[in-house]
This record gives sequence, structure tokens and C-alpha cells, in this order.
Amino acid sequence: MSTQETGERLELLQGTLDLLILRTLIFGSQHGQGIARAIQQTSEEELLVEHGALYPALQRLEERGWISAKWGISSNNRKARFYSLTAAGRKQLVKETAKWKRLATAIGRILDPAKEG
Amino acid sequence: MLRRKRKASDFSAEIEAHLEHETARLLEQGLSEQEARAAARRSFGNVMKVEERFYESGRWFWWDHLRQDLRFGMRMLARNSGFTVTVVLTLALSIGANTAIFSLVNALMLRSLPYSHPDRMSTIYTRITGSRPSDERHKLNGEQWELLRDNVPSLISAVSSSRTSGVNLQAGSRVEYVRVGRISAHYLDVLAIPPVLGRNFLEDEDRPHGPKAAILGYSLWRNAFGANPKIVDKTVSLKGEPYDVIGVLPEGATTPLNADLYVALQPGREGEGGGTNFECITRLRDGAIWQEADAEINRAWSLRTQRYELENNPGAQVTYHSVPLQKGETARLRPQVLTLMLAAGFILLIACANLAGLTLVRVMRRTSEVATRLSLGASRWQIQKQFWIENLLLALVGGVVGVGVGFAALRGLLLLLPEHFLPVAHVPLDGRVMGFALTVSLLTSVLFGMLPALASRNVDLRSSMASRTVAGGGSLRLRQGLIAGEVALTVVLLAASGLLIRTLVHLETLPPGFNSNGVMTAKASLDDVRFHNPAAFRKLLAESTAAMRQIPGVQQTAAGLSLPYERTLITGGIAISDGKEAGQKVMADEVYVTPDYFAALQIPVLAGRSFSEADGPDTQRVAIVNEMFARKFFHGANAVGRYVDKDTMIVGMAGNVAMAPGIDPVAPLTNEETMYVPAAQMEARQLSLLHVWFQPSWIVRASGPVDGLTAQMQRALASADPNLPFSGFYSMRDLLAKTLATQRVEVALLSAMTALALLLSAVGIFALIANIVAQKTREIGIRLALGSSIRQAMVHVGAPGVRASALGLIVGLILCTGALRAMSSVLYGIGVYDAPTLVSVALALGLVTLLATTLPTLKIARIDPAKTLREE
Repeated sequence: MSTQETGERLELLQGTLDLLILRTLIFGSQHGQGIARAIQQTSEEELLVEHGALYPALQRLEERGWISAKWGISSNNRKARFYSLTAAGRKQLVKETAKWKRLATAIGRILDPAKEG
Repeated sequence: MLRRKRKASDFSAEIEAHLEHETARLLEQGLSEQEARAAARRSFGNVMKVEERFYESGRWFWWDHLRQDLRFGMRMLARNSGFTVTVVLTLALSIGANTAIFSLVNALMLRSLPYSHPDRMSTIYTRITGSRPSDERHKLNGEQWELLRDNVPSLISAVSSSRTSGVNLQAGSRVEYVRVGRISAHYLDVLAIPPVLGRNFLEDEDRPHGPKAAILGYSLWRNAFGANPKIVDKTVSLKGEPYDVIGVLPEGATTPLNADLYVALQPGREGEGGGTNFECITRLRDGAIWQEADAEINRAWSLRTQRYELENNPGAQVTYHSVPLQKGETARLRPQVLTLMLAAGFILLIACANLAGLTLVRVMRRTSEVATRLSLGASRWQIQKQFWIENLLLALVGGVVGVGVGFAALRGLLLLLPEHFLPVAHVPLDGRVMGFALTVSLLTSVLFGMLPALASRNVDLRSSMASRTVAGGGSLRLRQGLIAGEVALTVVLLAASGLLIRTLVHLETLPPGFNSNGVMTAKASLDDVRFHNPAAFRKLLAESTAAMRQIPGVQQTAAGLSLPYERTLITGGIAISDGKEAGQKVMADEVYVTPDYFAALQIPVLAGRSFSEADGPDTQRVAIVNEMFARKFFHGANAVGRYVDKDTMIVGMAGNVAMAPGIDPVAPLTNEETMYVPAAQMEARQLSLLHVWFQPSWIVRASGPVDGLTAQMQRALASADPNLPFSGFYSMRDLLAKTLATQRVEVALLSAMTALALLLSAVGIFALIANIVAQKTREIGIRLALGSSIRQAMVHVGAPGVRASALGLIVGLILCTGALRAMSSVLYGIGVYDAPTLVSVALALGLVTLLATTLPTLKIARIDPAKTLREE
């Protein structure tokens, strides 16, 4: 892992937001704000997610049939739109995860060949 | 329109919910209400942008924009009504021409024949290799027909007469002249036309000298027999003999012959069947395949005893193969129609070049509009889209008007064609034609829209905003190129139609060899049992011509088997009986005539004598040959006194007359070796056969116009035989027009298209110059102010048009050297590189160019230098 300059968060790579959303929903249904929080917390505040960018992505995933949504009441008694993974979404998550891992390993090898031995 | 499931308001509500959740979380962390709300918004980013992205990802967005673009496009087109009208008219004319010609192509080549399973129908082509190769439809003789009928089980085969002939039908008390088609037993089975009443011919009825039976066409049944439902098994009087009606064809049924009624062909190996006189059609039987059928045909016809294909063609190989009936029936017109289609394609290209030029100017004029829109945030793609949508709108409007024009043009064209000229009954504007028109419209919009779209891609914002003048020095070069291109195509069309016109003039002004002024002719059918007797035939001719001579104003009357300009009987095997050519057998046209034939038509008898009343059935058999005959068979020696066919003495030599060729059809009108014989010496056997094929003509020469001549001719004929109707009356001019129908139609159509091409080119040049004048008003003003004369300014402005046109002329002439060679087979009397034609082409083009460049420059005279300089 490269060192992080203080005060600066990593910007998301193109296309990774979809993967993160799917991954977050694996623990159960969640609303948009919850997803944004979860991504930030699990990445230990490393990743910068502009909350606004989340919604078009959610809309896109919903249209592709990977997640489904319905309005409900959140834990603090507010109206919210809850998203959950569909079967197709699960499959997509597995596929994307594998792809991402391969990519990360490959890039890791290029950047730091010595460590691989 | 498709609609997404989720509404924008729902999306906004979700964002609102997000902000509330985030605010609540931040409040819990101890921020003040105001701070929390601000931080939530900050971490969300731009709400509006997110909502916009949601909206844009929906399909409504597309629809909204398209509607907006369309509305805007229509407004722009309406505002530039001059431009719009020019473009729509250009499109309408060119698409109209293409639609009309394509509907012919469609009817002749693409539409299925109107029979069930037309793909199983065919005809037989003869392929000859060797020194004179050919691959075409041949007629069959009796032997071939019998072999085909009996030895080719894969096919249902049938033969017919090659054309209809006129016969006399007694319907009630009246005798009518109707067109009969003679067909073999299974002809209607091949066409798969079951009669609505009765049945088809039986094989027994199709044997030589079999029972006499007839099948009526639907309209004849309705018109002549009042649609009598009990007509079957009734007897009608046809050709003076009783025929049993055995069937009636269904309404709208067509056959390749398109006759009024049908009788059995009764083909044999003798008489008609001794020569190749039968047209053949076949249908593949269920379960059979074409290869098998072709193999059977080749096997069957290898058994023939006489093989005419091998005469004069040593070393040739002859094979036979099936060809779709559609192709066989339309082969004659195919090259002509394809030529017209090519010409129509040229028109379309010329139109596209014009339109590209026009739209290019328009796009250039709109540079500042484009720049403004770009600077207001429109993307280049949006600007391009706007242009394309306008082009598309224009193309569609032009296409719709074009189909209307095409429909009108097609109606006019079909009126122009002689009856039974096309081998199809209808030329419809069907779905395929509509599809073609639509495709052509869209294609046109792409073609003429492409250039301007490319040109407008690199509009520079700053410079275009700053200057109000129109950009595009490079566009002038481009437009000149377009003009040169269209002029080149126009030159090719001009030259082609010029050559065809010259051909037609040549044919129409060929020395006819007789005097056609004041001659009226009429035909009647003598295919009638009453006239098989030579004595009755002689009596009819003598009495009727004598009666016609009594008509006041009539000078001479005669009758003959055929007339000048017509096709006539060909007789093979005429034996030269004496001199050094003795024993030679020759082929010539044969015409029986009454004694006054040469006098009535004023055909000069150059040597010997004409026929006289004394040449009768019991006197010396005599003949008169024409110059061509004497030159060809006697090598120019004196023919008079020579003998042919043992005992026939040549007593005279007549001048050549122009006629439709039968022996060697190299030109539509020619001189052929001809032998005239006295009608009085015809034998019964000849009369019964000849009159099946030919309807003889009566000839009347009058000194001036005679009131009611035709009615008086009919009365005179009736005085000799009350039951003999004339089929029609023709002046020699009518006969010439009929013989040259194909050439006339070709000339008319190609000339019309050439005129259109010339008009479009003129419009193109005109538009170019008019545009330069408009663009350079200021520059011209300065020139005038600095002392240039108006003439000099006109020349300066008009020069680019003249240069483009001159370049086009040169390129066109170069194209001609290749393109015109393909026309050599349809040209008669002139060469492919005909100097007068090419000079006329250049002159015509020069004149049009001059007009098109001068007219718009006249505006220069109205330019006021002082005023133009004050502008800006």
C-alpha cells in the first residue's frame, strides 16, 4: 500500500462505485445515505464518495436489475428508499469482485515486482 | 414513446430523504442545525446536476429534444422558404423520375409473375458456343415439341403461338374481329389457371386435325356473350367454322399471350411445326429438380433429326437450360429499362450535387448562428444533429412530393407506350416501390447533407463571432467541383439522348421506297374456312378492291399480305433454278399482292413488268423480286427472266422498301430481300397457313382527304363479303410509329430525363453565381467605386460558373468515350462518336451555362457602390 498524504482522500476509480454499492448491500438492504456512510466507514475514511454521485449509480444498477428498491421507514423513523441485492446482482458482484482482484494483483505486480518473489 | 417507470419527483424525494438522514447524523455528532444542514449539502455535491443526470438518462429526454429540434428545423425551413422550395422541388423531380422508372423495373424484373408458384415456371434457353456464341430463348419446331412433351417427365411443358392473331368471331348477328391465342393442351396447367367454367383443353383436342374447341377469356365472355353461365358446350362460329366452347377463364387471369380467346394449337411436325414457330413455357413438377429437368431436355433433344442451330456455325456446341419465365418474358426490355434506371440514378446524383451546394451555402450563412449556439453551451453534436434533422425533414417532404410526381410521371409514361408493349398487365406502385422511394430519399439526405456537415465541423468560435461576413473561400472550390461533377453527368446524358434522337431521325427519314402520302390501309382476318378456297379468295380481293375504287376521290386500290414498315412472311428454301447460282436455296420475305400493289404504293418497278390481271392461277407462275434480292442472289445481274422454284419466272424487279426485319434483325427498319407473288397464284395449302399468322391489308390511295373514307372502305368490303370486319385503319405514318415504338419510347424517356438533368445543372450554376453575387456585394461595390465597369464585374463574378461548367464538359466528354460504346447496339445509321451530336452537346451546354451565369449577374447593375460601402 502506498502511503497516504494527510488530509487528502482517494478519488474513486471509474466504475468502482457500482462494485462498492453491490458489496455494501451484501449485508442486507440499505438506503442511499446508509450506503454512502458504509463505504466511507469500511474504507476507514480513505475513499471520497460524493454522495450525489451515488444516486445516478443506484438508478443505473436498478435499471439493470442488479438491485431492487422500495420505500420504507428507517431506524430513526424517517422515510427512505431501501435498496437490496437481487439474484442477478449477487452474480454480478461475484464476477466484478474476481475481476477487480485480478486487476489489483496485476497492477501490484507491475508497481512492486520485488515483493512477489 | 417508451416511458421510464420512475418519476423525477420520486427521485427528488429520495435526495431530500438523504439530506435529512445526513443532517440528523451530523446533529447527533454535535453540530448546530445550520452547520449540519450546510455540511450535508456540501458532501452531497450539486443536487441540480444529479437531478439533471437522472433526467438525461431517461428516454423522455431524447423525445423532448427531437421534438424541439424538429420544431426548430421546421421554423428554420419555413423562414427560408426560397431555399426550402428549391430543395423540395429538386428532390421531388429527381425522386419522382427514379420512382417512375423503378416501378417499371419492379414490374418487369422484381415482382413475381401473377401465377401460383412462379419460381417453378421457366422457359428454355439455347446456349451455343463456338465462333458465334449465344444464349437466348429460341422458338421450337414440331419435332422439338414432341420430344419435349414425351421425354421430359420432370416438367409440365406447353407451347403456344408466339403472338396472337386476328380472327372473326360471330357473336349473335354481328361478326367481331378478336385476338386469338393458340395454345397446347397443358398451357393453362403450366400457368396454373383453372377455368371458372368448364375445363382446359384435352390432349385429344390438341392433336393435328383434332376437334375444334375454344376457351373464352373473361371479358369476351362478358361483353360478347352476356356472361351466359350456360355457354359451355355451346357452339360458336369462329373463323367461319363451328367451335365448341369448353371453358371460360377467371376474371383478371392473364397469360403471356393476353388474347381475347384461346383455341388449341394442335402442333405437328408438318406445316407450322416444320419451322421454329412455337413459344415454349414449362413448370417443374412437384418433387422434381431443375438439374434433372435440364438433363432430360438435353437428352431428349439430342434425338432430333435436324439441328438448325449448327447451320453456318461449324464446331459449335449446343446445350439447353431452364431459365425463370420472368427473365425469359422480359429479356427484350431488360437493357432498355436498366439504361433508364442508370439515367435516373444520374439525375439523383446531379440533384444531390445541387443540394449539397445549396445546403453548404446555407450552413456557411449560419456560421454566426452556430457560433452563438456553441458559445451558449450547445455541443457540436447537438449542432450537427440539428443540421441532419433539417436535411432529413427536407428529404422526407421531397420524398413524399416525389412519389406524387413519380405517380403522375408513370401514368404519363404508360399512356405513351403502345398497347401490349409491356409483357405485364400492371405497373403498380406497391410496397417495394414505396420502400425504394423512402430509401432513395434518406440516401439523398445523407449524400447532400454530408458535405455541409463536414464543412461546419470546424467553425472557429472567435473569428466567426467577430465577423458578420460569411466564411468559406474553400467552399467555392468545393461548390465548383460539385457543379463540374453534375455537368459531367449531364453531358453523358445529353450525348446519349442525342445519339438516340439522331438514330430515330435516321430511321424515320430513311428513304421508304414508296410514297406514303394519301395512303389509307385496313386489315381483316382471312383465317376463315371460307377463304381457304383460292377461287373464293381471288373473288373477295377482286370484288372488294373494285368496290373501293368506286369511292369518290380514290385513285388506286390494292391488297397484299403485308405492307412496307411491317414484318412479313419469311420463306426459306426458295430454289434458284437456272444460271450459275442454280441449285442454291435462299431465304427471302414473301408477299402476295394484287396487280395494283406497286401502283397504289408507288413502289417503282425498275426492270421488267408489274403484275397484271392476266397473271392467274392457270397461267405461267411469276414473281417480282426487289433490288436487294437481285443483288444478293444474282450478284446484281439482271433478274428478269430468271427462274426460281423450278417453274416460277421472275418478270420484274421492284425498288427496295423500308420494312421491319424478319431474316436478320440488325436494325429496327431495313431493306430485306423480298419476293412478290401474285395473290391470284396462291394455293389453298398456303392460304390456310399464311392467314393464321398474317392479316392482309387493303390499300387505298386518294388524291386528297376523303370524307368518311374508312366507313366507305368498310361498306365496300361488306359489298364483297357482309361478314368480314376490318380490324382497324392505319395510315402509313401509324405503321411507321408502330414499328419504331421502342425507339420512340426510348427517345421520349431519355430526352425527358436529359432535360431534367440540364435544368438541374442550370439551377446549380445559377445558384452558385447568385450566391457569389450576394456574398460579394460589398467587394463588387468597391470594384465599381474604383472604376471597374459593370461588364467587368459581371465577368469577374460569372467566371467561376463558366470555369466549373467547362471542366464538367471536358470530364463529361472523357466519360462519354467509355460510356457511349455500350450504346453501339441500339444506334443505327450513326457512329458512337458522332461529331454533330457532340458539337450540339457542347453548344447546348454552353448556352445553358451562359444563361445560368448571366441571369444572376444582372443584379450587379443594380448595386449602388455608395450604399454598399456605407453598410457594415
